[in-house]
Amino acid sequence: MDVSLSETQRLIQDSVKAFVESEIPFSRIREVESSGDMDRKLWKELAELGWLGLPLAEEHGGQAGGLADAGVLIEALTRRAVLVPIAESVVAAATLQRHAPTDVAADILPDLANGTSIAVPAVLEQEDSFKTWSIEVGADGTLTGKKYFVDYGGQATHHLVAARSDGEPGLYLVQAQTPAVTTSAVQNIGKVPQAIVTYEGAAATRVCGQDGYEFLVGLGRLLAAIQCVACSQQALDMTVDYVAMRVQFGQPIGTFQAVQHHCANMATHTLASRYLVFEALWRHDRGEADDTQIAVAKTQASRTATEVTMMAHQLHGGMGLVTEYDLHFFSLRGKQAALSWGSSEECLGLVSDTIEEPEQWL
Amino acid sequence: MDYEWDDDILAFQKELRTFCEEFSTDLRAAEDQAGRDLVFKKVHGEMERRGWLRIAWPEEYGGGGKSPFYQFVMVQEFSYAGIPYGGLSVGSIAPALLNHGTDEQKQKFLPGILDGDITFAIGYSEPNAGTDLAALQTRAVKDGDEWVINGQKIWTSEAHVSTHLWLAARTDPTAAKHRGISMFILSMDTPGMTVRPLYTMSGVRTNEVFFEDVRIPADSLIGEQDKGWYTVANALDFERVSLAPTGQLARQFDRTLEYLKEERTEQIADKGTRQRLAELKIDLHVLRALNIVNASIIANRETPTMEASMTKIWSSELRYRLSSMNMDLLGRYGGLRSDDEGLTPVDGQNEQTYRGSPILRFGGGTNEVQRNIIAHRGLGLPR
Ligand SMILES: Cc1cc2nc3c(=O)[nH]c(=O)nc-3n(C[C@H](O)[C@H](O)[C@H](O)COP(=O)(O)OP(=O)(O)OC[C@H]3O[C@@H](n4cnc5c(N)ncnc54)[C@H](O)[C@@H]3O)c2cc1C
Repeated sequence: MDVSLSETQRLIQDSVKAFVESEIPFSRIREVESSGDMDRKLWKELAELGWLGLPLAEEHGGQAGGLADAGVLIEALTRRAVLVPIAESVVAAATLQRHAPTDVAADILPDLANGTSIAVPAVLEQEDSFKTWSIEVGADGTLTGKKYFVDYGGQATHHLVAARSDGEPGLYLVQAQTPAVTTSAVQNIGKVPQAIVTYEGAAATRVCGQDGYEFLVGLGRLLAAIQCVACSQQALDMTVDYVAMRVQFGQPIGTFQAVQHHCANMATHTLASRYLVFEALWRHDRGEADDTQIAVAKTQASRTATEVTMMAHQLHGGMGLVTEYDLHFFSLRGKQAALSWGSSEECLGLVSDTIEEPEQWL
Repeated sequence: MDYEWDDDILAFQKELRTFCEEFSTDLRAAEDQAGRDLVFKKVHGEMERRGWLRIAWPEEYGGGGKSPFYQFVMVQEFSYAGIPYGGLSVGSIAPALLNHGTDEQKQKFLPGILDGDITFAIGYSEPNAGTDLAALQTRAVKDGDEWVINGQKIWTSEAHVSTHLWLAARTDPTAAKHRGISMFILSMDTPGMTVRPLYTMSGVRTNEVFFEDVRIPADSLIGEQDKGWYTVANALDFERVSLAPTGQLARQFDRTLEYLKEERTEQIADKGTRQRLAELKIDLHVLRALNIVNASIIANRETPTMEASMTKIWSSELRYRLSSMNMDLLGRYGGLRSDDEGLTPVDGQNEQTYRGSPILRFGGGTNEVQRNIIAHRGLGLPR
């Protein structure tokens, strides 16, 4: 038992932080955000630096890292509010690596690692549920129907689509840049590129069944939870810096106990969420995390992102709301991540569904 | 990063569970308080015999030299089973003696503390020195080869059943307030001491202790004269590994859930009830995570800065939330006391914890002070 970051993880954290801080000014984030597209230049750079292959095996051009390592990477990137489908891509790639037939995996994974292809999950439908989606793969192996809230659905080259075959749930790989797939953008609170995708006879390659689907959803939840933690941590750090500097009544507002206690609560929530999420991610990598543990972590992280970032606004006063200032990136992306892959309400529901089951408290 | 418990820790946990089950059986068989006291005494002796009381102490102090995680699991398991573990005498006084006592003082007190024959009350708080502990006024004046104590302590829990008092007194009234304090050990039957009970709504008795020309030998001083503040502050880190164990609250959650499953099948099917239980479960997982973080830092031989304060705050506030919510779920039955035989669910544990829950929020360093610590030491905010 050792909750501290490994050498490798510290290296990932430090080098990604140094890289984004020197290469990605927030003005760049504003530009990309208003373009409605992803940051394609950054994506290429991430590929060149090898980050896109972090959780993939060496035979696929990856670095054979663990899912927690990928979590560290995603946290560091999210703390700069960059607009790239890193979490989506890790969810899709890790699922393909573990659950796809070897030929399917060998075919696509090297391209995901080198950045020439981008795969993202497409699960939800109009009713916004992880349980009741119903799109069917036809006898001819094609898909017809719609998927909602597909993050980076318009940018990806491949979709990993949740679909049924004879009622059996599974995941299918679909080439997205073809006439059979059309996307229309939806506008969300985080200003993250997101689409409704329409498939009309799109060719679908079977990847896996129920097991793979559950792995995908679990990983999706946890990587969204990591983004919640990242936004909370960034908002907290910005707040601590701000209140130490902002003077009212002749002293920094950070000397007021009311302000300090809010900061202490923000720090407690952020730290607890961080370790809940990393532990669940570490266990998910080993196939040991059950749905309840994942839902516990996501509920807590979602709430933390909401409460901590909104308290950050309280302590910043008017300045925190100004779009020239950077706090809004984290409060709005934080809420977006809180909703993604199961809101606190949905995840609390999952925890309550299994409430009778005995718990291991050690 | 590694969230696996080592095999030896898991094996130890198993051993502890067997031990705790036997204890529970013995405790249930005890007929009255005297019988229960005997069981506790036996448990203490058995723990010492197995080396558990000192399991994580360094070997040069006669400890087991095991990883702090041994202590961590042990405190978790005992807390789950409701076994008082060692108490403050083993947890705080013994480490302070190890750090600051002379060889004679260690010889004199340590074996008795470990056997359970020497027990301490803690004399820090005074009527005008609560959170602002350094404002304490009880005086100790050197007179030849004796110290003479005058003044008053309050909230001196266990003073009526302990053999000794661990006392903070002012030895230099002219120095800055943190500087002129010294630590003493005195026997509770020293002439000139009066113990007056204070009964609390929590059910626990505490005391006021009055000192009138109480004379104790020079070697009652522990550590350096006038440096008592630091003697207290530097208790050994391995004892901080489990300040706020998840066990007791987890057990209360488990037992209340068990009761609802067995006796309230309609209620447990209700969505609202299930969600409230889910909220508590998540809060318990947060406590578990904070405890593990704290322990893991200590096991890496580093000192937690804000993590211990976070754990203390979370645990004490959850104590109130959990017992209150469980009582609400149980309705009028939830308000029944443990001494109402027959109708009371879960042995009245929730009611009892609820009544006691204020203590830990302000005791052990109030939660307001803990939040100050997080802000100053953890986040580096200006004072
Ligand atoms: C049942 C029981 C058992 C106890 N056992 C012992 C024992 O064995 N030995 C012993 O020495 N003591 C013991 N105590 C005392 C306990 O440690 C004190 O009650 C505690 O330190 C708080 O002091 P106080 O009660 O004087 O409250 P106060 O110091 O008067 O505090 C009241 C409130 O004011 C707040 N406050 C005070 N100062 C500040 C500040 N600077 N900033 C913000 N808020 C502030 C506090 O946080 C608290 O909420 C016991 C108390 C009880 C009730």
